[in-house]
Amino acid sequence: MTPDRHGSAVIEFPNDLEIVTTREFDAPIELVFDVLTKPEHVRKWFAPFDCEVTVCSIDLRVGGNYHIVFVTKDGTECSFRGTYLEIDPPGRTVETWLYDGWPEAEAVETVELSEARGVTKLTMKLAFRDQAGRDHMTKFDGQEDSFDKMEDYLRSLRGKAL
Amino acid sequence: MLISEYIRSVARASTTSDVFNAVAEAHRREILDALISGEKAVGTIVNDLSMSQPQVSKHLRVLSEVGLVGYRAEGRRRLYYLEAARLRPLHEWLAKYERAVNDRLDRMDDYLQELQQGERQ
Repeated sequence: MTPDRHGSAVIEFPNDLEIVTTREFDAPIELVFDVLTKPEHVRKWFAPFDCEVTVCSIDLRVGGNYHIVFVTKDGTECSFRGTYLEIDPPGRTVETWLYDGWPEAEAVETVELSEARGVTKLTMKLAFRDQAGRDHMTKFDGQEDSFDKMEDYLRSLRGKAL
Repeated sequence: MLISEYIRSVARASTTSDVFNAVAEAHRREILDALISGEKAVGTIVNDLSMSQPQVSKHLRVLSEVGLVGYRAEGRRRLYYLEAARLRPLHEWLAKYERAVNDRLDRMDDYLQELQQGERQ
Protein backbone atom coordinates (compact mmCIF):
# COMPACT_ATOMS: atom_id res chain seq x y z
CA MET A 1 0.00 0.00 0.00
CA THR A 2 1.32 3.44 -0.87
CA PRO A 3 1.60 5.84 2.06
CA ASP A 4 -1.26 8.32 2.04
CA ARG A 5 -0.86 12.04 1.56
CA HIS A 6 -2.80 13.07 4.64
CA GLY A 7 -1.83 16.41 6.07
CA SER A 8 0.15 17.41 3.00
CA ALA A 9 -1.81 20.49 1.91
CA VAL A 10 0.36 23.58 1.56
CA ILE A 11 -1.32 26.85 2.51
CA GLU A 12 0.25 30.13 1.49
CA PHE A 13 -0.62 33.78 1.96
CA PRO A 14 1.18 35.33 -1.01
CA ASN A 15 -0.19 38.82 -0.31
CA ASP A 16 -2.81 40.66 1.74
CA LEU A 17 -5.75 39.51 -0.35
CA GLU A 18 -5.13 35.89 -1.26
CA ILE A 19 -4.96 32.44 0.24
CA VAL A 20 -3.50 29.71 -1.96
CA THR A 21 -3.81 26.03 -1.08
CA THR A 22 -2.09 23.26 -3.03
CA ARG A 23 -2.50 19.50 -2.62
CA GLU A 24 -1.70 16.43 -4.70
CA PHE A 25 -3.97 13.42 -5.26
CA ASP A 26 -3.17 9.98 -6.65
CA ALA A 27 -5.96 10.05 -9.19
CA PRO A 28 -6.46 11.10 -12.80
CA ILE A 29 -7.38 14.71 -13.45
CA GLU A 30 -10.84 13.91 -14.88
CA LEU A 31 -11.84 12.06 -11.71
CA VAL A 32 -10.54 14.82 -9.43
CA PHE A 33 -12.49 17.37 -11.48
CA ASP A 34 -15.69 15.31 -11.12
CA VAL A 35 -15.20 14.87 -7.38
CA LEU A 36 -14.84 18.66 -7.04
CA THR A 37 -17.80 19.61 -9.20
CA LYS A 38 -20.50 16.90 -9.07
CA PRO A 39 -22.93 17.14 -6.15
CA GLU A 40 -23.12 13.37 -5.60
CA HIS A 41 -19.36 13.41 -5.01
CA VAL A 42 -19.07 16.70 -3.10
CA ARG A 43 -21.60 15.39 -0.55
CA LYS A 44 -19.14 12.64 0.39
CA TRP A 45 -16.26 14.82 1.51
CA PHE A 46 -17.26 18.46 1.94
CA ALA A 47 -18.59 18.53 5.51
CA PRO A 48 -16.26 18.38 8.51
CA PHE A 49 -16.40 15.20 10.59
CA ASP A 50 -19.26 16.14 12.91
CA CYS A 51 -21.37 17.81 10.25
CA GLU A 52 -23.81 16.70 7.64
CA VAL A 53 -24.28 18.11 4.14
CA THR A 54 -27.93 19.15 3.84
CA VAL A 55 -27.86 21.15 0.60
CA CYS A 56 -25.59 20.46 -2.34
CA SER A 57 -26.65 21.94 -5.64
CA ILE A 58 -24.14 22.67 -8.38
CA ASP A 59 -25.15 24.09 -11.74
CA LEU A 60 -21.85 23.65 -13.54
CA ARG A 61 -22.04 26.21 -16.35
CA VAL A 62 -20.91 29.79 -16.72
CA GLY A 63 -23.44 31.90 -14.83
CA GLY A 64 -24.71 28.83 -12.97
CA ASN A 65 -24.89 28.86 -9.18
CA TYR A 66 -23.70 26.45 -6.54
CA HIS A 67 -24.93 26.24 -2.98
CA ILE A 68 -23.55 23.89 -0.34
CA VAL A 69 -24.77 23.80 3.25
CA PHE A 70 -23.59 21.63 6.08
CA VAL A 71 -25.07 21.51 9.56
CA THR A 72 -23.04 21.01 12.70
CA LYS A 73 -24.21 18.69 15.49
CA ASP A 74 -25.45 21.73 17.45
CA GLY A 75 -27.60 22.78 14.51
CA THR A 76 -25.46 25.61 13.14
CA GLU A 77 -25.79 25.93 9.38
CA CYS A 78 -22.69 26.76 7.37
CA SER A 79 -23.67 27.87 3.92
CA PHE A 80 -21.37 28.46 0.95
CA ARG A 81 -22.58 29.80 -2.37
CA GLY A 82 -21.42 31.43 -5.53
CA THR A 83 -21.66 31.71 -9.31
CA TYR A 84 -19.42 30.10 -11.90
CA LEU A 85 -17.47 32.61 -13.97
CA GLU A 86 -15.27 30.23 -16.01
CA ILE A 87 -15.44 26.50 -16.60
CA ASP A 88 -12.74 24.69 -18.51
CA PRO A 89 -12.85 20.96 -17.66
CA PRO A 90 -10.85 19.23 -16.41
CA GLY A 91 -8.26 21.89 -15.66
CA ARG A 92 -9.94 24.98 -14.31
CA THR A 93 -12.98 26.66 -12.81
CA VAL A 94 -13.39 30.21 -11.53
CA GLU A 95 -16.31 31.08 -9.29
CA THR A 96 -17.43 33.65 -6.80
CA TRP A 97 -17.26 32.37 -3.23
CA LEU A 98 -19.36 33.55 -0.35
CA TYR A 99 -19.72 32.13 3.13
CA ASP A 100 -23.11 33.33 4.40
CA GLY A 101 -21.63 33.92 7.85
CA TRP A 102 -19.44 36.69 6.43
CA PRO A 103 -21.60 38.23 3.69
CA GLU A 104 -19.25 41.18 3.24
CA ALA A 105 -16.25 38.97 2.58
CA GLU A 106 -16.95 37.87 -0.96
CA ALA A 107 -14.07 36.28 -2.80
CA VAL A 108 -13.24 34.88 -6.20
CA GLU A 109 -12.06 31.28 -6.10
CA THR A 110 -9.85 29.88 -8.85
CA VAL A 111 -9.45 26.10 -8.91
CA GLU A 112 -6.76 24.68 -11.17
CA LEU A 113 -5.82 21.06 -11.77
CA SER A 114 -2.84 19.61 -13.58
CA GLU A 115 -1.80 15.98 -13.94
CA ALA A 116 1.68 14.52 -14.22
CA ARG A 117 2.51 10.80 -14.03
CA GLY A 118 -0.87 9.90 -12.58
CA VAL A 119 -0.70 12.52 -9.83
CA THR A 120 -3.12 15.44 -9.99
CA LYS A 121 -2.15 18.70 -8.39
CA LEU A 122 -4.95 20.90 -7.08
CA THR A 123 -4.40 24.63 -6.60
CA MET A 124 -7.20 26.65 -4.99
CA LYS A 125 -6.82 30.37 -4.80
CA LEU A 126 -9.24 32.50 -2.80
CA ALA A 127 -8.87 36.18 -3.67
CA PHE A 128 -10.74 38.56 -1.40
CA ARG A 129 -11.96 41.96 -2.51
CA ASP A 130 -10.25 43.71 0.36
CA GLN A 131 -8.04 42.85 3.25
CA ALA A 132 -10.87 43.05 5.76
CA GLY A 133 -12.46 40.15 3.89
CA ARG A 134 -9.34 38.05 3.89
CA ASP A 135 -8.75 38.80 7.55
CA HIS A 136 -11.98 37.03 8.37
CA MET A 137 -10.03 33.97 7.43
CA THR A 138 -7.22 34.92 9.75
CA LYS A 139 -9.56 35.51 12.69
CA PHE A 140 -11.95 32.68 12.14
CA ASP A 141 -14.61 34.25 14.36
CA GLY A 142 -17.41 31.78 15.07
CA GLN A 143 -15.79 28.87 13.32
CA GLU A 144 -13.13 28.67 15.98
CA ASP A 145 -15.39 26.57 18.12
CA SER A 146 -16.08 23.86 15.59
CA PHE A 147 -12.41 23.61 14.76
CA ASP A 148 -11.65 23.19 18.42
CA LYS A 149 -14.13 20.33 18.46
CA MET A 150 -12.44 18.85 15.46
CA GLU A 151 -9.10 19.15 17.15
CA ASP A 152 -10.44 17.33 20.21
CA TYR A 153 -11.88 14.62 18.03
CA LEU A 154 -8.62 14.14 16.17
CA ARG A 155 -6.84 13.90 19.49
CA SER A 156 -9.32 11.28 20.72
CA LEU A 157 -8.72 9.24 17.57
CA ARG A 158 -5.00 9.40 18.08
CA GLY A 159 -5.56 8.33 21.69
CA LYS A 160 -7.41 5.21 20.53
CA ALA A 161 -4.70 4.33 18.07
CA LEU A 162 -2.06 4.29 20.78
CA MET B 1 -2.85 48.14 42.05
CA LEU B 2 -6.50 47.88 43.04
CA ILE B 3 -8.19 44.76 41.79
CA SER B 4 -10.80 46.87 39.99
CA GLU B 5 -8.05 48.70 38.11
CA TYR B 6 -6.40 45.41 37.32
CA ILE B 7 -9.60 43.96 35.90
CA ARG B 8 -10.14 47.09 33.84
CA SER B 9 -6.66 46.94 32.41
CA VAL B 10 -7.03 43.26 31.57
CA ALA B 11 -10.40 43.90 29.97
CA ARG B 12 -8.86 46.67 27.91
CA ALA B 13 -5.93 44.45 27.02
CA SER B 14 -8.23 41.77 25.68
CA THR B 15 -9.66 44.12 23.06
CA THR B 16 -6.55 46.05 22.06
CA SER B 17 -3.74 43.58 22.56
CA ASP B 18 -4.60 41.49 19.56
CA VAL B 19 -1.55 40.19 17.73
CA PHE B 20 -3.70 39.50 14.66
CA ASN B 21 -4.74 43.14 14.48
CA ALA B 22 -1.18 44.27 14.90
CA VAL B 23 0.16 42.21 12.01
CA ALA B 24 -2.84 42.87 9.76
CA GLU B 25 -1.19 46.15 8.77
CA ALA B 26 1.43 45.78 6.03
CA HIS B 27 3.75 48.49 7.38
CA ARG B 28 3.79 46.86 10.79
CA ARG B 29 4.77 43.56 9.21
CA GLU B 30 7.60 45.38 7.41
CA ILE B 31 8.81 46.75 10.73
CA LEU B 32 8.75 43.27 12.27
CA ASP B 33 10.69 41.99 9.25
CA ALA B 34 13.25 44.75 9.73
CA LEU B 35 13.80 43.62 13.31
CA ILE B 36 14.43 39.96 12.42
CA SER B 37 18.11 40.72 11.87
CA GLY B 38 18.48 42.30 15.32
CA GLU B 39 17.58 45.29 17.47
CA LYS B 40 17.36 48.68 15.79
CA ALA B 41 16.82 52.32 16.67
CA VAL B 42 13.80 54.16 15.25
CA GLY B 43 16.07 56.17 12.94
CA THR B 44 17.53 53.00 11.43
CA ILE B 45 14.06 51.58 10.77
CA VAL B 46 13.03 54.88 9.17
CA ASN B 47 16.03 54.69 6.82
CA ASP B 48 15.58 51.01 6.01
CA LEU B 49 11.88 51.21 5.19
CA SER B 50 11.43 54.69 3.73
CA MET B 51 8.60 55.45 6.12
CA SER B 52 8.32 58.71 8.03
CA GLN B 53 9.52 58.86 11.61
CA PRO B 54 6.04 59.61 13.05
CA GLN B 55 4.64 56.68 11.07
CA VAL B 56 7.29 54.29 12.35
CA SER B 57 6.85 55.53 15.93
CA LYS B 58 3.09 55.07 15.72
CA HIS B 59 3.43 51.51 14.46
CA LEU B 60 6.11 50.68 17.03
CA ARG B 61 3.74 51.85 19.75
CA VAL B 62 1.03 49.46 18.51
CA LEU B 63 3.54 46.62 18.22
CA SER B 64 4.90 47.17 21.69
CA GLU B 65 1.38 47.41 23.17
CA VAL B 66 0.69 43.86 21.99
CA GLY B 67 4.15 42.77 23.09
CA LEU B 68 5.51 41.93 19.63
CA VAL B 69 8.41 44.33 20.13
CA GLY B 70 10.26 45.35 23.25
CA TYR B 71 12.78 48.15 23.72
CA ARG B 72 15.74 49.11 25.85
CA ALA B 73 17.43 52.44 26.34
CA GLU B 74 20.96 52.93 25.09
CA GLY B 75 22.11 56.41 25.94
CA ARG B 76 19.44 58.69 24.52
CA ARG B 77 18.28 56.16 21.96
CA ARG B 78 15.70 53.45 22.27
CA LEU B 79 16.60 50.16 20.64
CA TYR B 80 13.64 48.06 19.56
CA TYR B 81 13.78 44.29 19.35
CA LEU B 82 11.47 41.51 18.23
CA GLU B 83 9.57 39.43 20.79
CA ALA B 84 9.08 36.52 18.42
CA ALA B 85 7.48 34.32 21.07
CA ARG B 86 4.46 36.63 21.04
CA LEU B 87 3.72 35.50 17.48
CA ARG B 88 2.56 32.22 18.95
CA PRO B 89 -1.20 32.93 18.65
CA LEU B 90 -0.66 33.41 14.91
CA HIS B 91 1.25 30.18 14.75
CA GLU B 92 -1.44 28.32 16.63
CA TRP B 93 -4.16 29.76 14.47
CA LEU B 94 -2.32 28.81 11.31
CA ALA B 95 -1.82 25.27 12.58
CA LYS B 96 -5.55 25.01 13.25
CA TYR B 97 -6.43 26.37 9.82
CA GLU B 98 -4.00 23.96 8.22
CA ARG B 99 -5.60 21.08 10.07
CA ALA B 100 -9.07 22.14 8.93
CA VAL B 101 -8.04 22.50 5.28
CA ASN B 102 -6.02 19.30 5.43
CA ASP B 103 -8.92 17.45 6.98
CA ARG B 104 -11.24 18.33 4.11
CA LEU B 105 -8.70 17.51 1.41
CA ASP B 106 -7.79 14.27 3.20
CA ARG B 107 -11.47 13.24 3.07
CA MET B 108 -11.51 14.06 -0.63
CA ASP B 109 -8.33 11.98 -1.05
CA ASP B 110 -9.86 8.98 0.75
CA TYR B 111 -12.98 9.28 -1.34
CA LEU B 112 -10.95 9.36 -4.57
CA GLN B 113 -9.16 6.19 -3.42
CA GLU B 114 -12.51 4.51 -2.71
CA LEU B 115 -13.81 5.44 -6.15
CA GLN B 116 -10.72 4.11 -7.85
CA GLN B 117 -10.73 0.88 -5.87
CA GLY B 118 -14.37 0.43 -6.84
CA GLU B 119 -13.41 0.81 -10.50
CA ARG B 120 -10.64 -1.76 -10.25
CA GLN B 121 -12.87 -4.40 -8.68
